[in-house]
Amino acid sequence: MQPSGTNDPALNDLLGDYPGHCGHDELLSPDRQPRAHWQALVAEFVAMGADTLVARSEEAQSLLHENGVTFNPYEDDPGQLRSWRLDCLPCVISTDDWLYLEAGLRQRSRLLALLLDDLYGERNVINEGLLPPELVYTHPGFLFSAADSPSQMHRPLLIFHGTDVIRDSQGQWQVLADWTQSPAGVGYALENRITLSRALPGVYRDAPIKRLASFLQAQHRCLASLAGNQRQEPNIVLWTPGPGSPGYFEHAWLANYMNFQLVEGDDLVVRDGQVAVRTLGGLHQVDVIMRQINDPWCDPLELRPDSLLGVPGLMQAARSGHVHIVNALGAGVLEHPALAAFLPNLCQRLLGETLMLRGRDALWCGDPKALDQVRESMDEWVLRDITRPGKAFRVDQMSLDAVQTLRLDLQTRPHLFTAQKPLQAAVTPGFNPSSKTFERQSTTLRLFSLIEADDISKPVSDHVFRIMPGGLAWVGEPGAALMKSRVVKDIWVLADAPQPHVSMLRQALGPILVTRDGKDLPCRVAESLFWMGRYGERLDIRARLLREALGRLLQESPQEAVVTLLPDLLTALGVAPDEEELAEELAAIGEHPRFSAEYLLARDRLLHLLSDRAPNGLPMTFSHFVRNSRAVRDHLGDDAWRSVGSIRQRCNNIARTKGVVAGQRLLEAIVIDLAAFFGLCNETMPHHYGWRFLDIGRFIERVLGTLQLLKLALLTANQPGIPLWEVVLATTDNFTVYRRRYRSQLHPSAILDLLLFDETNPRSVGYMLKRLGRQVARLPSTAENTSYRNLENRLIIQATSTLHLVDIDSLVDLEHSEEARDTLMALLDDLIEPMAELSNAVSHSHFSHVEAPRQLVNMEVGP
Amino acid sequence: MRYTLRHLTRYEYSGPATLSHNEARILPRQLPWQLCSDTQLIINPGPIGLSERRDFFGNRVTYFAVEAVHNSLEVVVTSSVETWPRPAQDFFSGTGWEEAAAEMSCAVRTGNRDSIEARLFVLDSPFIMRQPALKEYAQTNFTPGVYLHDAVLALNKRIFDEFTYDEDSTTLATPLREVLETRRGVCQDFAHLLIGCLRSMGLAARYISGYMETSPPPGQHKLLGADATHAWVAVFIPGWGWQEVDPTNGCVPDERYIVLGWGRDFADVTPLKGVMTGGGDHKLTVAVDVIPAPDLPDERQLF
Repeated sequence: MQPSGTNDPALNDLLGDYPGHCGHDELLSPDRQPRAHWQALVAEFVAMGADTLVARSEEAQSLLHENGVTFNPYEDDPGQLRSWRLDCLPCVISTDDWLYLEAGLRQRSRLLALLLDDLYGERNVINEGLLPPELVYTHPGFLFSAADSPSQMHRPLLIFHGTDVIRDSQGQWQVLADWTQSPAGVGYALENRITLSRALPGVYRDAPIKRLASFLQAQHRCLASLAGNQRQEPNIVLWTPGPGSPGYFEHAWLANYMNFQLVEGDDLVVRDGQVAVRTLGGLHQVDVIMRQINDPWCDPLELRPDSLLGVPGLMQAARSGHVHIVNALGAGVLEHPALAAFLPNLCQRLLGETLMLRGRDALWCGDPKALDQVRESMDEWVLRDITRPGKAFRVDQMSLDAVQTLRLDLQTRPHLFTAQKPLQAAVTPGFNPSSKTFERQSTTLRLFSLIEADDISKPVSDHVFRIMPGGLAWVGEPGAALMKSRVVKDIWVLADAPQPHVSMLRQALGPILVTRDGKDLPCRVAESLFWMGRYGERLDIRARLLREALGRLLQESPQEAVVTLLPDLLTALGVAPDEEELAEELAAIGEHPRFSAEYLLARDRLLHLLSDRAPNGLPMTFSHFVRNSRAVRDHLGDDAWRSVGSIRQRCNNIARTKGVVAGQRLLEAIVIDLAAFFGLCNETMPHHYGWRFLDIGRFIERVLGTLQLLKLALLTANQPGIPLWEVVLATTDNFTVYRRRYRSQLHPSAILDLLLFDETNPRSVGYMLKRLGRQVARLPSTAENTSYRNLENRLIIQATSTLHLVDIDSLVDLEHSEEARDTLMALLDDLIEPMAELSNAVSHSHFSHVEAPRQLVNMEVGP
Repeated sequence: MRYTLRHLTRYEYSGPATLSHNEARILPRQLPWQLCSDTQLIINPGPIGLSERRDFFGNRVTYFAVEAVHNSLEVVVTSSVETWPRPAQDFFSGTGWEEAAAEMSCAVRTGNRDSIEARLFVLDSPFIMRQPALKEYAQTNFTPGVYLHDAVLALNKRIFDEFTYDEDSTTLATPLREVLETRRGVCQDFAHLLIGCLRSMGLAARYISGYMETSPPPGQHKLLGADATHAWVAVFIPGWGWQEVDPTNGCVPDERYIVLGWGRDFADVTPLKGVMTGGGDHKLTVAVDVIPAPDLPDERQLF
């Protein structure tokens, strides 16, 4: 009988039921004592006690949340928000283990670099029978257009390489997968390290952990050196598929940290053989592209013709050496899961060495013997189809029909399948804040290697790689995807001695572009900022209106058949039923002992605006807002981004809000958060073009909102009068101003004066036009040296003069004079029209209207 | 034989295109039995970044961009081509088809380098998926013990006999299944069909794009532009090499066939493809002349 715990009772409490299993244990040695490299950390944790640990975990969690760290692809969809938990207990790797891992990873990167070079060059490994051609040529990552014959100078280079590693239950390190296109996780690894060293400052300061920051500095140097001596200040961009992609947070984070411009496919164009970013100031040449897009989608001319993410002509630009892509197009073939079965021989052939890090047991089903073996015992294998990456087939978890289909596929196209042996991972400890004890986990590590910058110009056989001393770990069954994990961990690589502290704060990693945010602002970013402004303001206006409407609802007597003000408010919010609907819905509601049918109808319609499903509801407006703000994440300050996070949380809760009062309170909070957001934008964004577009978007929306509201309240309402006017003032937040200034009952002329003409009132149309005029005049001019005013300026002048030329006397006595009402109607319409057109004009002059590229020959074919 | 070759491709757009990136595979390859000289390539409007390279299959690829606003794109190639008879392969006609298929199998770890290279052409490609219906169709000719050479010629002849050449029946997007059902198509469909059949039998077959000299009706001059681009097939005979067959004409290509290039299927050797911004819909005109040098028509002077 083994002892049931350690010698330390406090530690035993913390361990809970963690001990008591078989197989390799990372934390405890076979005699159930903490291993040497864990002792210091465990002692600190014991000293802190479970309650402190829970508090620190929560602290880490809220830091993570505030920064919007997420893997989730659908976070704009209000129903789908999920981010992971960051375990406050790291994965600790001893110095000895690390030496071994580091050497193994270095060898692996050298091997894969040579293999890549051979596959796109002589293809000796295929011709000599070391690697079956069927395995290579069917992989979507093998790009025929990157394999010219005779192969030329620019063969794809492996610059940056990610490897998923696990310790199995026997205590052996095993490689699960290689990532050679755009390995994700470096940004997350750094973010986790920063977060935990803030949540557990003492632990992190004193531990002899290897620091990470220098790896990213090396990466920056490496990318800059790719551009060679071509240019003094190479322009490096980070190419993301866009905010809809699962890794977008990391793309934006890295772009910001590394001081690269974040671009999408639409931003890039190939002209004169060069890749360039479309900016407000014209085309801006790109030297190095750090891509986050998979091989087949990068160029619709030479690769998948149906790609909308790609840049036509990109491969040719890379081929001619005018741009460097990291990793080079074509490197994706190294991600083939069946390579694991061939690497030991390839390592002997290409390096003359024995492969150090074993891959997981795998069989390539294209080999008839392997296929027989797999078919005989299908339930002992996990099957992967290279045409459906990320999907794993286990027959014991599939329906009979699906198994039948799989067997047929395996029969007809065996070479597409790889069979992997399920793997038992070693046990690693995690801290569970709910049980306040350690729990058993199986953890996968993603580690990264990078070519030494000086080696890039050397022959591939001389390339040397450095390994990031740390990485990203996640909890899940071996082989489970990082994106599907719920818990992530920091990785500690222990050094012999305490490490000098390197600041993780953003340092100048390279040349700083002084023109940032000036004319080199991509047109797409300008466009997203503009729409972020418009949707943000729209959200504000609607939240205020809805808040007022809910307030009125509470003041109404629920039994009254005629609900006075509500129909007008429903109109303002765009949810008023037409007459037919009204009769129908009222009939459907039926008798209620306490509420009139009209009251219930108004209540339902208003509360429906809080639901995810309402097309003009608040969550939907928010999702437009957040989609645009995510697309410009790298242009917003951290605090501004935090306020977006806070609105997001509220919008997630909003759909579950049932009561009117709770709804009102949430709306109140959203209004404040939005004010904080725009305030922070004004305070922190450089007042360059980007900020101007945001401001223009915002004020176009606001001027239109105010004009519509005035039109309703003063002219078209069913029940015009003081209660409605009060709503107008409350919605524009001018109630107090009005009372202080006029000290009287509400009067239409006074309201008009305050909200239309008074240019000192930031909520007045006069002020807004002035502000728009100033902003538009400072946008980069598209026409050169012309004395003619452009359309945007003319529209603003048109609206401003309309306002200035009004004969105020003709507007008095609105309540009784039909003539005055007509005059006001004409005035408001004359203001609304040019402002609505202004939006199109700005968009037309400044945003790139990138059409989806068309193919001359349609290559899509049916089976 | 000596020929003067002229190949015009013209795209007319319904609207202006502002930028286009293009790839052309319209320069004939040099082969032991085919020599090209005086090759000229004229692109209108003027191309930017024109450059030539050899693709994976060794075909000549020309990349170019057009950056001026344009409503049409015209590419004309002229070349003098001399051809000789292809090597005859009677000596090896004794290879059985099962033997050949076994040589092409994934199971073979080491072997003849040519055979290993040919295995790429057993696999599915963008336009050609192996399928039971194709295998079933081919099996009539691939009975046990038949020589590969004989079986291929028989199948080639059968496609010629059983299928109708019909320009209106198919488009590029017509799936092979449908071609097999309707028994109609054009040279490209028949080439894809034959390749699909051979691959479904486990054999290596590739797609060849090129031209064929056509003879005018007796007593008449040859009309300009009357020839067309053509497509046929080559099957790999282990230990010997690639044997060409033309299912559209049910024959074995001779000196009258000029090879442009080859690949797994049409997608690898599309004569002119491109991606453009703007342009709207487009209309394609292709005119090909393969003029035998000794017997030039009067219009020869035109180019």
